[in-house]
Amino acid sequence: MSRLDTKFGKKLKKYGATEFNRCYNCGTCTAVCSLTNSEDSFPRSMVRLSAAGDQNGIESSLKPWLCYYCGECSTSCPQTANPGELMMSLRRWLTGRYDWTGLSGLFYRSSLVTIIAMVLVFAGVIGYAAYESFDMERIMHTAHYFEMFAIMGVFAVILLPNIVRMWYLTVIKPGYKLPVKVYASSMSELFIHMFTQKRALGCDDNQARWFAHLILVIGYLTLLFTTVFLDWFSTESMFVVVLGYVVSAIVFAVTFVFVLGRIKQKQEIAKHSRPSDWFFIIWLLLMGITAFAVRLFIDLDLLAGNLWLFLFHFTILAQWALIIVPFGKWTHFLYRSFAMYFDKLQKSK
Amino acid sequence: MQTERIKLTYDALVIGGGIAGGEAALNLANNGYKVLVVEKSLSVGGKMIMLSKVFPTLDCSACITTPKVSEISRHPNIKIFTESDIESIEKLGEHNFVAKVTRRPRYVVEEDCTACQLCEEACPVIVKDQFQYGLVGRKAAYIPFSICSPKVAAIDIDNCTLCGACEKVCPPGCIDFTMKAKQYEISVKTAIVATGFELFDPSTVKRYSYQEGKNVITSMQMERLLAPTRPFHTILRPSDGKVPDKIAYVLCAGSRDDSMGNPICSQICCMYSIKQAQLLMGALPMADITIYYIDIRAFGKGYDEFYEQAVSMGVRLVKGKIGKISEKENGNLVLRYEDVSTGKLKEAEHDFVVLSVGAKPNEEPQSLFKTQKLELDNLKYVKQSDPLLSPAKTTIEGVFVAGAATGPKDIPDSILSAGCASTEAISYLNS
Repeated sequence: MSRLDTKFGKKLKKYGATEFNRCYNCGTCTAVCSLTNSEDSFPRSMVRLSAAGDQNGIESSLKPWLCYYCGECSTSCPQTANPGELMMSLRRWLTGRYDWTGLSGLFYRSSLVTIIAMVLVFAGVIGYAAYESFDMERIMHTAHYFEMFAIMGVFAVILLPNIVRMWYLTVIKPGYKLPVKVYASSMSELFIHMFTQKRALGCDDNQARWFAHLILVIGYLTLLFTTVFLDWFSTESMFVVVLGYVVSAIVFAVTFVFVLGRIKQKQEIAKHSRPSDWFFIIWLLLMGITAFAVRLFIDLDLLAGNLWLFLFHFTILAQWALIIVPFGKWTHFLYRSFAMYFDKLQKSK
Repeated sequence: MQTERIKLTYDALVIGGGIAGGEAALNLANNGYKVLVVEKSLSVGGKMIMLSKVFPTLDCSACITTPKVSEISRHPNIKIFTESDIESIEKLGEHNFVAKVTRRPRYVVEEDCTACQLCEEACPVIVKDQFQYGLVGRKAAYIPFSICSPKVAAIDIDNCTLCGACEKVCPPGCIDFTMKAKQYEISVKTAIVATGFELFDPSTVKRYSYQEGKNVITSMQMERLLAPTRPFHTILRPSDGKVPDKIAYVLCAGSRDDSMGNPICSQICCMYSIKQAQLLMGALPMADITIYYIDIRAFGKGYDEFYEQAVSMGVRLVKGKIGKISEKENGNLVLRYEDVSTGKLKEAEHDFVVLSVGAKPNEEPQSLFKTQKLELDNLKYVKQSDPLLSPAKTTIEGVFVAGAATGPKDIPDSILSAGCASTEAISYLNS
């Protein structure tokens, strides 16, 4: 039996959904959605659950992750209830719900807390640099290892348990008992969606947005690989150096376009930016630009006199790895693809 | 060029010759006041004269409108200006209004025309017939529609090629291409605004495929297909002339919808759709009729029974607003909607789709008043200064409002409000 939380609407406001209670249940949003089908009909079903405050119903549903936010439902809504932004807010809320530490929800609800966390990480980096008496060699060395360990640590301690929680809430708790064979055979779904975001192509007129996003994902993952495993900042290999330049430039260029879109607010998806969206996109942009600049300074033999640049890059990196990746918008990379995997599991029954 | 204006004096000016304006004029005239009715189109009767039947009594609309229209046209105390525009109305003091009116030329001498239709036969130009809402064509020399009043031909000068064919065949020789617009200056003591409403234009909503889908029509077009003075004498779908057997009604097409610029309920669409569904079941006994709705609002006297009657006749009602209409190659249409009772997305195929278009405000009256401001409400309907106790009063003293000019109304409510406006006007005239 579901317990209804009458204050859920109020809670959800802090995640960005403010107008969904205007809904008068005409179903236009579902009817215009190009990703909806008779099996998974949304977003109205999610509007209903949210209006009723049925948290159990929402946390066991994968529908929020099946939406790729073309915004057609919001522009067609007779009541301007903004169902598209509700789906976005539910994704934020679910991210908080899956996170066992509770920090995700805290960061989503309060930008002040996020800023304090950002400042603390910054202080940590500066403190460490002071501890090493601002010795460039040692800081760079540590930064490299920090990156490697941060990725592994965050994944093992935060992300993996959170995915298990998501699996528990959406597959186990609703009572899907599936043989291991099904888990194995559905696995391809996970990787296809993780690396191609194939489903987003189903959104109407979305080819350009999908392509830009795909380039960004590939660029970002390659940049990560280049810096962490190919040791871009100290490599002698010409190929790796050039590759690093190219991918960091790509990350910068695509995020720049996305930032511009959010400022211009022409597309429905870019109209309702929350602090979490800004942190994500701006930090990604800064990652691209500072990584590019650091390597450029190395190649021009200027870095030794410009330690501040590396510290800036290191700070961005640390904030990214310790705040945005485990608790921020970065997690949609995992949750979206795992949602497709779990959805496949649910349907294989 | 300033031509001399013809000066006339009346007690009351009624703006708009629809059912509300006509009723108000009649009430005033029967009380001995001289009334001028100014109508912008070629005939009085407004939208009601074009309808098939009225709900919930299923009386023939033409049969109850035409006697009323005849009475108005022949009343010794009423003068009607059709094809006329009001340029301005100035209030100079209490009981003292001056209106500047232009009568556009119809290029036919009204008094001499016998409505023999020989000009229509002779005219070589064919254009879409606006009085049949584009379903069929008409000539450039034409009688507006069979029960129009005055029943006099007119030349559509914009489409006329000036070939003179009509002039040659006209028995009384009443066609006069030299006719000029006439300017009037009219003094009145009071005015009644009865400018009615506009119909929502569904071509602004791409996903309804009103323009691309040949078999998607508006409810007003369906009224014409069902009316006694209808163009085809049966129900045919436009693309191929097939008699439809699976008809869909899309309710709230342009009503209760912020995204379409009209957030309020139009109050008439549920009932006229239910009415049309019943008439269609009579006209096409084998046809399936489905009404897609958000809520059925059957609020008036006898309305709910009328709705129950439709249900018992076999009209299918489905809760869910249509989101998208797409045309198939054979002219059929696929309607995409969420069946709200099950929460599932569904698609249904129909061979004829009627958009139950809503009512939109007619903002014209505001610009007519020059010395004082005729205020509109936030939805651009004429503002009632005291909507509860004196619903016919506007923000200008001595100017009253009747019918759908203040908001969507069905026919009984329009008649009621016309009665109210004329009573208020008489009180004002005697004050």
